[in-house]
Parts: sequence; structure tokens; C-alpha cells
Amino acid sequence: MKSIIKFAIVLMVAGLLASCEDFLDVNVDPNNPTTVTPDLVLAPAQYYTAYRIQSDRGISHLGNMFMDNWSQSDGYSWYSDEFKYNVTSTFYAGTFNNTYGAALKQYQILANLEDSKYDNYKAIGMIMKAYHFQILVDSYGDIPYFEALGRSLEATPAYDDAQAIYEDLITQLTDAIALINNASSAVTPGADDAMFGGNMTNWIRFANTLKLRILTRQCDMSGRSSYIQAELATIASEGHGYITGDVGVNPGFIAKETNKQNVIWDELGWDAAGTQTMSSKATCATAYIIDYLTATSDPRIDYIYEKPATGHKGVPQGLLDYDTPVVDQYMPEFVSNIGPGILKSGDQDAIIFTLAESYFNQAEMRQKSFITTGASAQSLYESGITASFLYLGLDAADAEDYYTQSKVLVGWNSSANKVEAIITQKWIAVNGITAEQSWFDYNRTGYPSGIPLPLNYNATADRPVRLAYPSGEYSANGDNVPTQPNVFTAKIFWAN
Amino acid sequence: MLHLNFNLNLSRMKKLFLFFVLFVLAGASTLWAQTKVITGTVTSATEGEGAIPGVSVFVKGTTVATSTDANGKYSLTVPEDAVTLVFSFIGMKQQEVTIAGRSVVNCVMESDVVGLSEVVVTALGIKREKREITYQTQKVDNAELSVAQPTRAGSALAGKVAGLQINVQDNGVNPSTQIILRGLRSISADNQALVVIDGTIASLGAFDDLNPNDIADLSILKGATAAALYGSMASNGAVIVTTKKGQAGEKITVGLISTYTAEQVAYMPKFQSEYGTGWEGAYDAIENTNWGPRFDGTLRQIGNTWPDGTYQAVPYAPVPNNLLDFFNTGSTFNNTAYLSGSHETSKFYLSVGDQSSTGIVPKDKYSRNTFRVNASKKVGNVELSLNSSFFTDHTDQVGSTIGDQDRPLYWFLLNTSANIPLSRYWDWRNDKYSDPSGYYNGYYENPYFCVDTNRYLIWTNRLTANIQLSWDIAPWLNLTTRAAANNDWAYSKNWRDAYDFDTDLKPTGSSISSFLEDREHQTSDYIGDALMTGNWNFNDFTLKAIVGGTVMSYKYRYHYIRVNNLSIPNFYDISNGTGSPEVTADALDERQFGFFGDFTLGFRNFVFLNFSGRNDWTSTLAKGNNSYFYPGVGLSFVLTDAIDALKNNAILSYAKITASNSTVYNDLSPYRLNEIYSKPGNFPYGSVNGFALSGTTVDANIKKEKLNTTEIGVNLGLFKSRLMIDASYFMTKTTDLITNTTPSITSGATAFLTNIGELMGKGLELTVGGSVIQTNNFSWNLSVNYTTNETIVNEIKEGLNEILVSGTSAWGVYAIKGMAFPQIKANTYVRDPEGRIVVDPLTGYPETNAALTPLGRTTPKHIVGLNTSLNFYGFTVSATIDYRTGHMFYSQLAANMEFTGRSLESVSANRQNFVIPNSVIETSPGVYVENTNIPIQDGRQSYWTDVYNNVFENYIKDATALKIREMTLSYTLPSKVLANTPLQKVAIGFIARNLYTLLPAENAFSDPEFNNTNNNAIGIGGYNQMPPTRSFGVNLNIEF
Repeated sequence: MKSIIKFAIVLMVAGLLASCEDFLDVNVDPNNPTTVTPDLVLAPAQYYTAYRIQSDRGISHLGNMFMDNWSQSDGYSWYSDEFKYNVTSTFYAGTFNNTYGAALKQYQILANLEDSKYDNYKAIGMIMKAYHFQILVDSYGDIPYFEALGRSLEATPAYDDAQAIYEDLITQLTDAIALINNASSAVTPGADDAMFGGNMTNWIRFANTLKLRILTRQCDMSGRSSYIQAELATIASEGHGYITGDVGVNPGFIAKETNKQNVIWDELGWDAAGTQTMSSKATCATAYIIDYLTATSDPRIDYIYEKPATGHKGVPQGLLDYDTPVVDQYMPEFVSNIGPGILKSGDQDAIIFTLAESYFNQAEMRQKSFITTGASAQSLYESGITASFLYLGLDAADAEDYYTQSKVLVGWNSSANKVEAIITQKWIAVNGITAEQSWFDYNRTGYPSGIPLPLNYNATADRPVRLAYPSGEYSANGDNVPTQPNVFTAKIFWAN
Repeated sequence: MLHLNFNLNLSRMKKLFLFFVLFVLAGASTLWAQTKVITGTVTSATEGEGAIPGVSVFVKGTTVATSTDANGKYSLTVPEDAVTLVFSFIGMKQQEVTIAGRSVVNCVMESDVVGLSEVVVTALGIKREKREITYQTQKVDNAELSVAQPTRAGSALAGKVAGLQINVQDNGVNPSTQIILRGLRSISADNQALVVIDGTIASLGAFDDLNPNDIADLSILKGATAAALYGSMASNGAVIVTTKKGQAGEKITVGLISTYTAEQVAYMPKFQSEYGTGWEGAYDAIENTNWGPRFDGTLRQIGNTWPDGTYQAVPYAPVPNNLLDFFNTGSTFNNTAYLSGSHETSKFYLSVGDQSSTGIVPKDKYSRNTFRVNASKKVGNVELSLNSSFFTDHTDQVGSTIGDQDRPLYWFLLNTSANIPLSRYWDWRNDKYSDPSGYYNGYYENPYFCVDTNRYLIWTNRLTANIQLSWDIAPWLNLTTRAAANNDWAYSKNWRDAYDFDTDLKPTGSSISSFLEDREHQTSDYIGDALMTGNWNFNDFTLKAIVGGTVMSYKYRYHYIRVNNLSIPNFYDISNGTGSPEVTADALDERQFGFFGDFTLGFRNFVFLNFSGRNDWTSTLAKGNNSYFYPGVGLSFVLTDAIDALKNNAILSYAKITASNSTVYNDLSPYRLNEIYSKPGNFPYGSVNGFALSGTTVDANIKKEKLNTTEIGVNLGLFKSRLMIDASYFMTKTTDLITNTTPSITSGATAFLTNIGELMGKGLELTVGGSVIQTNNFSWNLSVNYTTNETIVNEIKEGLNEILVSGTSAWGVYAIKGMAFPQIKANTYVRDPEGRIVVDPLTGYPETNAALTPLGRTTPKHIVGLNTSLNFYGFTVSATIDYRTGHMFYSQLAANMEFTGRSLESVSANRQNFVIPNSVIETSPGVYVENTNIPIQDGRQSYWTDVYNNVFENYIKDATALKIREMTLSYTLPSKVLANTPLQKVAIGFIARNLYTLLPAENAFSDPEFNNTNNNAIGIGGYNQMPPTRSFGVNLNIEF
């Protein structure tokens, strides 16, 4: 007995001491990798981009609410904050938090790549950062930029001047284009590039188109003409031009599969089980947009909005009493929900930049003589309308029938105010797709004119011109975040 | 796999007893060849007390025993070779008397100073006399613990121990508890007490899985100074559980404890009963909310109209208790059969437990079986013992992700308007108005349908075993080694059935998709300890020295598979899913070893000085940075033995003071040293895979968090120890807190794991107890304990003043510099310097602050527990009451009831526009004028649902509660009644648990103790828990 005990003790102590090193060597995470290659980083990043734009309560959704494209069906209490313009620190806070916390975090990994082998990935990271940072500036004004995305190295980044950020975005895009043009020996992405499938020429075109968006935004500012003209000349001399199709994200969406469907289809259309979502039923056209499209004989009405058997019907934003004079008149089955040109299929591309917008931006710059060569403003304007028709499922002849009508803000020659026509047509073209752009346009130009404010909206101010910084910034970055500028009156720098 | 399910039935119980009887006979077969009779009288040494009845007398090392009669006399037949008689009685020192050939053996017993000679089980299973312990502990014995026959030991501790806070997280058939000693001392690390069972580190799960009837006693080591020998696990104090082992000298006892309890909803939230189904003041036949017109008693249509033109109509009037009527009376039938005893050199305890319960929610069921075998055998001077248990249970309850919004069941009840006779709709398969498409509610399904089509089935098992060898190498030297295993494995299935609404009948119905989740997990903990204990005496000095080592290994495996949109109805196998399944397979490994030493130097048995030290090496930190030393020092001083003037004092029986200090560290969890990538839930898409960088970024120099604790204590015994006072004060300073700080989201990280700041915890505990009245046939014992503690966040880090533990942008539980932790924050009204609400002069709506405002701590500042028992002529009445106050909680229930228009607030202005009482208008900056004439808009609904409902200050409620947790009446039959029966003991009891709860008026909702999680996000509860319950029952205990 005793010898067994002694043996056990000796064995135990010896075992402890001898195997200490190996014994504790179990701290390598078997569940998650600590390093991954850029191709595994890119597709999730692009998915996050699509999500920020196209999701339920994404930035396009906000544009659809603010620009009177979408309203609320009977039976749902979905959009009270939107109808009250209740722009608080929690309102659409995902725009700020998840752009930085998901999309930009992921693109920064690419932008930080140092091995020249990955220059194409690095350039994509830089281009997509510019894409997101512009939307953030357009929504919030001053934001963290130069010190942002440093993670443990800089937990409380400083806020930078919006215009300084805008200028650096152009620089970054120029650098990214140069990287691609000089990256002949670098790895080219393949299917992991959910936007262009590794077509780097398309990436250059997209970068040029982003530059155009950034420059167009500033075109009404005084003292910026020579800067804008110089940058447009750089685009022209680069030579690849602008995008030639709608820019979408599609990592391989699969219809009717949980978590695999297109974002807007899944959240504002039909879920994987084929069930129409609550958000889909809750969301419908406004009365104003139905009237507007009807009055302008716009065939896109049946594509942007679903046509119930009882005919198109919209609901005024902010309506409280849905049942007067007719009970249940605004129930989901009687109102025009989001239409088949927007919700095409469970595996459609998630659009983040429309071809139409690129044409309308070119048209505006041509009309304002920042661009003086090439296609005429009218031609670009009509190309924009045609691109919209084509995206929604109509054809070029339908577009021509439409824009040759002698109606104000439809036919070029019938529209005295060409800029108003361009912006108004852009409003229709990005409706349901990238509607945040028409909110930014409205803040800059005041067009489209005449869109109503919600009913029972008790304040006197017009639409909000910016979003409020999220409350998290006041607690986690309180020393840097500026005092919240008035969301109704303090316009973003390019609108002043 | 072998599936054990012991549903109690009579034939099986008979077999069980047959088995026990055979066992008894086998034990008794070693009969002694020759015997003799010894008689005698037992008297007290204290003058005037005379003979003592009820003293147990037994032959040392055997089971031969009896007890003295009313005159203190006994008669015992003993074997011829018997050597020593042992006399034992509570309150007296145990005496051993050599027979030495006599036939009359009398004994004079001396009273024992209860307070100091009691043996307490301390860290690592080391037994010490209370006088030498340098810190504060409290013992809870089985009688106190299981007086009300709880199904979980944890819940029965509430109110019984100073410094201890038990939170019952939830009702339900398989409830869970949170055990917190002395408040919180870490922001991110676990603050729950360490559980040690029979000398081996176990887990809270293993504690919950114990049959409370198997517990001999619990020793509560309240702070880190007491638990310091446990190293990195010591910081939260410890609950040291000792299971029943069989007593030396005990006869063989066969017993049965049977308990039946009925459980019912104790109280529901307070609902308004003036308005019913509708929206914006208009009647709406399919609304889940109560924003319709005022009740008028007329017959009105509810639900949609059938294609044939028929519809259902009910009076537009409140249906009293329409939600309460949904709940059943639950029942629990709990039986424990046990066999215990000893024979010469061996002791044993065996038990089988069986519990079967039904819950208050229809169809909720629970069953469990526990088995325990504890046995020991002494061979020469080596004692070998085994403590082992097996546990298996099965929970069958409603799922918690119901409908197309993944809501819990209570949500569906709360979204039933006040005029709906809910209990009428139970027959959803046959009744057209109960059918999901025919049910009135356009937005939420019939709760009876939910119960049948959403099930969560869980099977868990636990096997624990602990083999101990104790070798008395010399009278002064002992070596003890222990090897222990604590393994549990569980699997579960959670599903939801699909449902497609009839779109003609219910156009608002959103189809419900089906899913099946299949989970399995396994934990395997292995622990080995070796301790060498030596005792030396040098004249006036004693030294007790312990050196030893410990090694631990924890493994965890987890598998999860979910499939959606099942093809075949009511077939719950993964193969039935469509699309690609969501799969998780995770593993965790953690290892540690340490060496320790503990030295207690005593002087004349009245002063003891203790030094302890432990060094740990952990697998979770980087090599070279993973070794930590934990020092401790303590002093115990027995004043009544040290100071002549205090000796043999008539009033002061004993007085002891203690002081101790220790430093311990909280370890990091595994795999947290590196930033990781993880796969987003939607990836891969075909061959396109992807990984996303974790939101958590990690400090490259992360280290353990440090806790330094100082404790002082006083133990007093007065009036022959009939009145006892224990008091202690502690201070715990936590530094280098391992915490996920919240960086600006613009840094690209949602969390930054680093060492930060300083917490300072301070607290006071006081227990006053004793026997108020003690006569032959009547006694009254009363004990009151009081606890107050506070953890202040002294420092976080430069530029950072708070840490979010859990919450949203509108409310949250935080650690905030300069305030008590945990602190609840919410968005609040803008108020003028006088505290009046500032309203918008245009709308009359209150203005709200953009930043969240701290509104109070979420752990009680004061806890008072009261335990009392009255004994008279065999009857015992006992009660446990506790009172907690000084804390707040967020009632999610209250917020939801506002939205549905069922709260009392929602009718407080009769659904009219009104001027917010005590409100002001800011006419120019800093100038406030009383608002007398600007009413809020949309008082019929929108103000309440869109404005009031968004100010979470409205839902942060006072968490004060007074609870009568346990109340029992029991009767033990006198032994003379049983004299001619084989029965040794018959006791019958009536028990009540959670009999009564008193809440402040502002909490018209639920039990503030309920919590959504068992982590540090304390103070958030509501509709994820069912309404609070109370239970009543009967209990029978018989022994043979």
C-alpha cells in the first residue's frame, strides 16, 4: 500500500515539473484564425457595403423616407421617428456605427497591405474607403478620418474638417488608380471580388465615378471652380472614364436560402421561406409620389411600386387615422408596396451606385460647364433616364417615349430649369435604390421642389440636413466629438 | 447511449427498498458472538442542570448505540470486547469513557463554547477549529438549507447568510441562480462565488445539480482572504459544500423524504382595465394593443370576418385576469431515498432522488434523477474515500424564439388586449376562433398555438467523482491526495413549426418559418490535489503547516447545427432542413497548476497567526508572463482566553477578533491574447469564403487583474453563547481590471481588451442570532443578518469615464468613474435646475437629453435577512424573510406594456392631451417659466407610444423587495409513539416558498430579482421571464 502511494506521489510531482512547458501549451485558438489572406477579407467587406446601403434602415432607406418615396401601411407602427424627423443620437445610428465598425474596419485591412503583391487589393480598399467616407461626411459633416480605424493604436480618433476629408478622398482615389495602373505583377482578385470579379479597369472607372460624385457635390460652392476643373482634367487624362453599368455587390446571393439572399430582397421583400416580411408589408408608396409619377405618365410607376389589383395607392407620410373615410383602405394589400423593378429576385445584385446617377452627375457638370467637351448635357440627361428605365426592367424605347413628352422636368426642352430637371430625374432614378443621394441633392440644391412634409409633423423646420452623432461617441470619444450642430439648419459644407 | 429515467412508481420503490433491506441484513450479518449490558446516567457539569436526556451513547468504532431517557439514564447491550463508550450531545463537548470492565458507566458532560470549537471546513477541504480561523465564514447546515425542501440548493441560501446575494434569474421548471458574495469586484470577470464540493473545485452547474437533501452542510468563505489558497479562483469567495458521508457510530438508517409542492403565479403586473382593442383611439378588431375607445360593454367584432360573412363578437369590456388564466398550477413531486451508516472502519451514504415537475406554462415539464454514493474505508492509518454522483435531467419547455419576430411567450400574452377572453382559445386545432388564422390578433399568434409549436427540449447529465486518500504518516503528519472529475454533457433540440396564414382571413399574418436547432456540449474538468499537513507543539506554541500542489485541466466542446424551413412537418431531424445548415463546432482548453503553503502559528490556543502563499502557472497568458504569486496573512485573537478579566465571564461567553489580508488575481479566459478573424454567419457563398476581423482588439501587454482584500471581524458569544454576534468589514481594491473598454467606434473596434482602472469595494456584514427562549418544550430561535456593500469605480483610464457592460443606445448597465458599480443609465428628460421637466413650447412634448444619465446601482445597497424558528412539543414553525433595497432595475415589461396600452400610466390622463405636471418652458437660455397651458399632442396614443415610450427613465424602477421566502410548519412524532414500530423517525411538514412579496408602488410589474443574464449585466429583466410564482406543499420524512 505505502509503496503504491509513494510511487503515485513521485509520479505526480515528477509529472508536474517535467511537463510544465508542454502542459500549459494549449492557448492556440482552435476556433478562429488569427491571420487570413486578402481574398478572404474582400467579399465580407463588400457584403457590409451592400448592407449599409440596401438593408432595412440602411442609408438608402433613410433617403426613401426623407425624400417622400416611402410611407407606412395600416397596421404598422414602423416609421414614427422618420415621420416626426426625430433625428436623435439613436436615429439611423447604424449609418455611423456600422460603417466604421464593419465595412471600413474590413477595408482598412486591405488599405494597410504593404506587400506590393497585393496592390490591387490595397487599391480596392482605398477606393471603397473613399466611397464610405464620402457618405459619412455627407450625412454627418466633420468625422474622424485621418486618425480613424487605428483600433488599439488610437481608441479615440480626432474629428477632422469635412472639406479636408473630401480633398483627401480625391487624393486617395488618384493614388489607388495609380496603384492599379502600376500593378501588373500583383495578384488580381477573382470571384472574391463581389463587385467587379477582379476586373481592375472597372475599379478604375468606379474610382473616377466616385471622384465625379465628390466633385459634383462641391460644384455650387464659391471658389472651388478651378479645383474642380483641375480634378476633372485628371479624370479625363487618366482615360478610363466612368462606369459603364450599375455597380452592385453580389458574392453569390442564393434565392430562398437563409442568410444567403440579396439584402433588400431578404429584409424588405421575402425571406428565405418565401414569406413577405413585416417590413415589406409595412412599407409602401407615398400618396405624393404616386400622384407625381401618374401625372408625368411615367411607366416606371409599375416597377418602382407594386400595383395592387385595386390600382396604385399611396399613403401620406405621418397619417394617424388610416380608416377615414374608408375602413382598411391602407391595409398592405391595397397600397403600393415596393415594386418589382426594385425587388427583382433573391439573388439580384445589391446596387450601391447607379449608372443613371453617373450620367446625371456628368449632365450637371456639363450643364454647369465644368465639363466642356463630349456628350451634351441633354444627351447625358437622357442617357441617365434610359439607364434608370433599363435597370427597372423597361427598355430604351419606353425611356424615349417618356423623355420626349413635353412636360416640365421630363422633356429636356420643356424644362426651363435644366439643373432642376437633372436632380428631379435623379430623384426618380435612385428611388428605392440609392435614395440617400437625392437627400444630399435636396440639401444642396433644394430640388426636387414641392415634395410635402409629413402630416402631423409639428415643427416648422424643413427636412433634416444631417444626422446626429451617435450617443456612443459622446461616451467613448467625448473629448473629440463636436457639440452636435443643429440637424435642421447646420448644412454640410458643400451646401453652404 | 444508456438513457436513465427513473420515474417514481411504487413497484420500483419497493425494489429499491428491497435492495436497501438486503444491504442492511448483509451489514448486520457480522453478529457478535457474546454481549453484555452496560447502564449509566449522564449529567451536566454545570451546577443545577442535572441529568441530560437525549444524549447519544455508542460504542466507539461501531454502530451499537442508544440515547438517554428523560432521566438521563441509558442501557446498552455491547459486545464483550467493547473498549470505549462515546457520549455526544449538542452544546456539550463529546466525551469518550473507557469501559474498563465496568457494567455501570456514568458520564459528566461539560458545556461547550459553541462559537469557537466548531469545526469549519475551509479552503482545500482543510478542517479547522473556528478559534484558529483568521477570517469570517458562515456555516449553513442541512436542517437550515432544506427546511422548505428546495429543488436547488442555491435558492435556499437566500436570506440566510450575511454578505451573500442570491439572485433567482427566472421562474420556470428548471430555474437558475446567481450567487454573489460581497457584491461585485470586477467589471468583466465572473463575480460569482467559487463552488467547492467535497474538497474539489466544482462549478455552479454542479451545485445546481446536487440534490439538496444530500448536502450535510455548506461553509461560506465570504471573501478572498478566506479563499486565498484557491489562487486565481479565490477572488469571489467560495461556497464549500460537504455532502453527507454517514456518521461514525451511526446506526444504519434507511430514510425517505417525499415532498409535493404546487406552484402558482404569485402576482401579475397591474393592468389598466378601461380601454381595449384599437389604435389611435379607434376600435380595431384585430389589434394587439389597447388604444381603442373606452370600454362600453357593447358586443363588438373581434378578428376578421370569415368569407361566409360570420365573425366572432365579445363584449367590449375588460376580462378580469385574462392573462393570469392562461397559466396552470404547476406541481413538483420530489422523493429522496437514502441509506447511510457506518460499520467499524467504514462509513457510507447512498441516495437516489427523483423529481418530476410540471410548470405554470402549459406543457412545461421537468424531471430529474440524482444518485449519490459516498463511502470511506480506513485501512490501518490510511483512509480511502469516494464521493460520487450522477445526475440526469430532462427539461421540456416552450421555446423562446416564437413567431416571425423571435419573441418569448410572455410577449404574446402581453400583446393580448384587455377585452379578450384568452383562456377560451386553448383548442386551436379544432376551434375556428382559436385557429392561428381565425384567432382575433392580427399581429401575434394565439399563445396556446405557440406553446404547442415551439418546443425546447434539453437533456443534461453530470458525473462527478472524487477519490481521496488520507494517510496519517505519523500522529502529527498527514498526507492527503485527491483526484476528481466533474464531467457534464448535454444535448438539446429547439424547434419552431411553420405556419402559413390564410391570407383571406388574416392578411396581416406574417408566415412563420420553421427551424430546428440541435446543440450538444461537453465539459470535462479534472483536478488533482496533494496536501501534506503537519502539526507541532512546542511548549506554548503550536504550528500547523500545509504544503501542497494542485493541477487542473478544463476542456469544453460545443456543437451547434441549425436548419431552417423544414420539409416534413413535425419531424425534427437536421436532415429535414433546406438550404445550408448553420454550423458551429467550438472547443476550449484551459490548464493550470500551482504550489501552495499555509502556516498557522498558535500561541496558548488564543492567538493564531496565519501566512499563506500560492504560485500559479496558467495556460491563458503568454509564456514568461504567466506565473503569479498570491500571498495572504491573517490573525485570530481570542480575547476571552487571552485576558484574565474576561475569562469565565457570566455575560461574555467568548470574544474573538480577526484580521486578514490577501492578494489574488483573476485570470484571463483562454485564447484572448490575439485578435481573431471569424466567419460572418452568411458566409460562405458557394466557393466564396470570407472572414471578418473581430470587433475586439487586444492590448499586447495584457495581464491578470489584481485584487487586494483586507478584512477585519469580530465574533462574540453572550449569555452562554445563547446570543451570538458576528461582524465583519472588508475592503477589496481591484486594479489592472481585465476589461473590454469601449473605444470610439471610429477606431474600427467595438471593444479594446486591456487592463484598466481601479475598483474599490467596501462592505459591512452583521449577524445577530441566538435562542430567545429555551425551555424543555418550547424554544424560539431568531437570527438577523445585515449586509451593506458598495463597489466604487475609482479610475477607468485617461480620457475614458465609463465602460458599457450591456445595453443599447437608450439604456445600459455601466461602470462609471466615481459611481457605484453596476450603474444603470437611461435617456432622461431635460430638467431645469429645480428638477422640472422642460417641454417644447410648440408641441408640449418633453425634451430629452442626448446623453444617457446614471440612475442608480443595480445591486442592493442593503440586504436584511431574518430567520426564525419556533419549536414546541414536536412542532416547528420557521420562516426566512429578506429585504433588499437601494438599487434600481430596468423593467422591459413596463416598457412593453406602455406600447400596448395596458399600463396604468397609459390611462393616467384619460387618453387626453394634457399639460405635463410640473413642467416648464425655457423662454431664453437658462430662464424657465412654468408650463400651465401647453399640452402634449396626440394624448390618445402617439404621445405614449412614440414619445413617453422612448424615454427609458420611465422604466428604471426601484428594485426594493421584501420577501417571505420560506415558511414551514413541521411536526416530528415523539419517539415513544414509534417505540413498537420499525420506524425511527416520522416528520411531516407544510412548506411555502416565496409566500409573499412586497414591492414599491412604482414597480407594478414583476420580481426585480429576475434578470436576463447571469453575467455582470445585473438589473435588466421583464418579458423574458414568466410572472413570479409561489409554492405550497407538504413534506414527509421517515427513517427506519
